[in-house]
Formats: sequence, structure tokens, C-alpha cells
Amino acid sequence: MSFKDIGLKIQIAREEKGLSQEQLAKAMGCSQSALSNYEKGKRRLYLSQLEVLARILDKPLDYFVESISPKNNAGDFPGKESSRQKIETALEKLDEKQLLQVIDYINYLQWNRTGGY
Amino acid sequence: MDFSLSTEQNEIVLWAREIAGKIKSIAFNPEFSAEQFDGKIIRLLARNNLLCPTIPHEYGGLGMDRFTTALVIEEIAVGFPSAAAVVDATIHAAEPILLAGSRKQKEKYLPLLTGNNAGIASFALTEAAGGSDLTMLKTIAAKDNGGFVLNGRKDWVINVDRAEFMAVIGAVAENKRKSALRVFIVPRAAQGFSLGIKRRTIGLDHLYIGEAIFNDACIDKGNVIKIDEAGSGYLLLTQTFDLGRAMVGATSVGIARAAYETALDYAENRWQFGAAIRKHQAVAFALAEMATKIEMARLITWKACWLMDQGGDYSVSSAMAKMAASNIAQEVTAQAADILGAAGCEKGSFIEQLVRDARVLTTIEGTNNMQKLVISSQL
Repeated sequence: MSFKDIGLKIQIAREEKGLSQEQLAKAMGCSQSALSNYEKGKRRLYLSQLEVLARILDKPLDYFVESISPKNNAGDFPGKESSRQKIETALEKLDEKQLLQVIDYINYLQWNRTGGY
Repeated sequence: MDFSLSTEQNEIVLWAREIAGKIKSIAFNPEFSAEQFDGKIIRLLARNNLLCPTIPHEYGGLGMDRFTTALVIEEIAVGFPSAAAVVDATIHAAEPILLAGSRKQKEKYLPLLTGNNAGIASFALTEAAGGSDLTMLKTIAAKDNGGFVLNGRKDWVINVDRAEFMAVIGAVAENKRKSALRVFIVPRAAQGFSLGIKRRTIGLDHLYIGEAIFNDACIDKGNVIKIDEAGSGYLLLTQTFDLGRAMVGATSVGIARAAYETALDYAENRWQFGAAIRKHQAVAFALAEMATKIEMARLITWKACWLMDQGGDYSVSSAMAKMAASNIAQEVTAQAADILGAAGCEKGSFIEQLVRDARVLTTIEGTNNMQKLVISSQL
């Protein structure tokens, strides 16, 4: 588990909440560059800071702590749920033609995963 | 940027130096025994309220900031590194309580480490299967009658034989998730706690380091820090280590300085080929290198502590301080032994003790390879 994983979780949760880096940094009382470093994992956040962040982003503290790597917590890690939720939200805004394009792309990804040609 | 110490800090350094001198005279007396380490040296530190100087005034402590604490630890380490390591370990054990303990936990446990009758404390993380990899920990706390039953075996626990309490890292579930980790405050008298093997170490060998065994140890719910907040234990651990590393840096600086001062004194008084050996370029250059390395180690340690006191980002600096200073302590003690010649080979000599103590500091508070991992992950 690295603080890069925690940073990625912060970014995912911030985007889910519809906040820009600037808005979240202001709510946390830090600079945008500091928040950017937190999200990149280049700066460590400790318990008291993450408690504040968790409240702002409506997430439990353990959401940020558990590894985002599928190999450690296959099937139920919070990052995976967040990605699925994000896709579902995005799909609702697409028209029928765009949805067909998404299906094509998913088919391509599945084909590619099985080795393609 | 200002590198000067305040008047108060200079006075504290002189005071700590005087105490360290007394400690050294006890520790390097031929009659010195393990009992005297407890009965005299730890008591001397307690009488001066120096066993955990970071504890705030309201709990009976000195309320020292990190920078001043590092100054004090360097002085104590110059006198007797094992005494400084006892202080490091006690500060480390108190850290999770200071950072996130409830008011009740602070009022109950912090005063045990302050005042004339102060005791020491232990931080228990490492197990046979691992320490740095938290997913390997096997110490488990199961809920029972409103409290917890703790089972596990911790190893390499400093101060474990006489700790007033231990800050024990265990999990509240067996799923090996980091969010299950919590810090349990285990009093010495807890039922189900016993001592295991005493470790014999090549350096800092006056410390009691050994196993802590928890066999159905009953822990009150009130003794668990942030029990209801999943994920808090992992975050507390990372912060505790980030804060503690610079203190090991300060201890390393003290060891290096003690070796350098011993070598300088020897070089000024040892005459060969018609002059004090410090006049010979080979020795003079070695002393110049040693002095430079010590200054480097001290400055990086000071920077880490300054960042802590300013509320800055200290994680990388603290890991750098621990790694650089403990490596430098090894290099400088070896150079000092070279300058002392045959006297540097004598078993039981001050320099021999310093060489051995420096070796251990590269490992405690996370090996130096772990420090590289911490630093590189944040580049």
C-alpha cells in the first residue's frame, strides 16, 4: 500500500463529488498544489487530515486506506466500485448511438483481453 | 533561514549535557550492571522528567517541541546511547496516544511517563512473520464482553520488561485488511500478558529487548485508540513512524559525535613521529571528514524536526534523517576506531560500544532499506 493509492482514492472521491481540486483544497484549508501532491502520492496525509477529507467527500476513512490493487482485495475494493458507479452515471447521459459505440468498445476490450487475432 | 539556537535551547543543551555526563560516568564504571541501568540511569532521567519530553505540560511533561527534543536526545546519546534509545522507544510508545488518544486515555497513561516517578513504555509491532509488511501481522483482538481478547506474539520490543504500558498493534478482524488495524494500550499488569525470549543484540545491549506474549489478554474497550474508526490504526502507524525516525537520527548524531570527540581527544594527545597525530595529514583529514559528516547528519535531522514543529511535510526528511544519520554513525565510529589504533580494538572500551551501538541503529525504527522505500515512494 503506498500513499499513491490513497492519492488516487482522493481523486476518485473528489470527482464523484463533482469538486475541482481548487474547491476541495479550499474546503480542506490547504493550497491546490498541496492537494495535487496528495493526489499524486507525493505528500503524505495523516489521520487528522484524512478524517477531515473523509467528511467533506462523504466517504468512510477505510475507503482511503484499503489497497486499490485488485491482487490484494479482488472483487470488493472500493476503487473498483467507484469506477463502476462512475461508468453507470456517465452512461445515463449518452444517447442510443453513443451507447452502441460503448458496446462496440467493450466488445473490443473483451476481444483484446482474450488475445485478439 | 536561521540555524542558531534560542537562549532557552542553549540552556537546555547544557543541562542535558550535564545529565549525560553523569549517565556516562555510571555506565562506563567497571562495576556497572543491568540493575544499575534501571535503578540509576532510568531514575536519573525520570528525576529530570526526560523519559518522554514531548508530553505536554498538562500531563506533567516538559512539552518540548521536536527540535528541542532532538537536541536533548543527541546529548544523552553522546553520554550513553542505550539511554537515548530508551527515551526514543518511550516517545514512540506515547505517540499514538498523543496523536489520537481520547482525553481519558491521555489522562490515564501519559502521566505514567512524566515526573519523578516516571516509567518507560514500549511500542510493540514486529512479529516473527514481519513488521514492515502490516498484512503479515497475526496479532488478533476478538470482541468479548464489551472489550477485546488479544492473542499474539510480538518480538523485538524495546523496554518490554519494565514498560508501564505497551502500544500494541493488532487487528480487530482476520481479513488482513489495513483498515482492521488498531493501537491497543496494554498495561503492564494486564492479565494474559507475559514476557517471552529476551533478545541479545550486538549493540544497545543494555536495553531489554524481547518478546511480548498475549494469551487471551483482556483489553478494555477504553484502551483501544479510535476503536470505531476503521482505517485509523494504519494511518496512526505511518505517522508514528514518520515522527520517530528523526529521533533515531538524533541518537545517531550523538553516537557519531561521541566517537569523533573521543578520536579528536586521542589524536591531540597521542604523539608519533615528533607530533600529535592530529597534525599528520592522514588523521587530520579523517577528522575533517568525520566532522563534516556529523554536521550533515545533524542538519538533516534538524530539518525534519523543524518541519514537524512547523506542521510541514516531514515524512521524507525524517526517513532521510534516520537513514543518513545512522549510516554516518557507522562510518564515523569506524573511522574513530581507526584513529585510536590498538586502543580502538579493545573489548569493553567506549569506542567498541559505540561501533556496536551504531550498527543497531541502522535497523531499528525500520531498516534503512525501508527508509529508501518511504523516500522513493514520494519522489
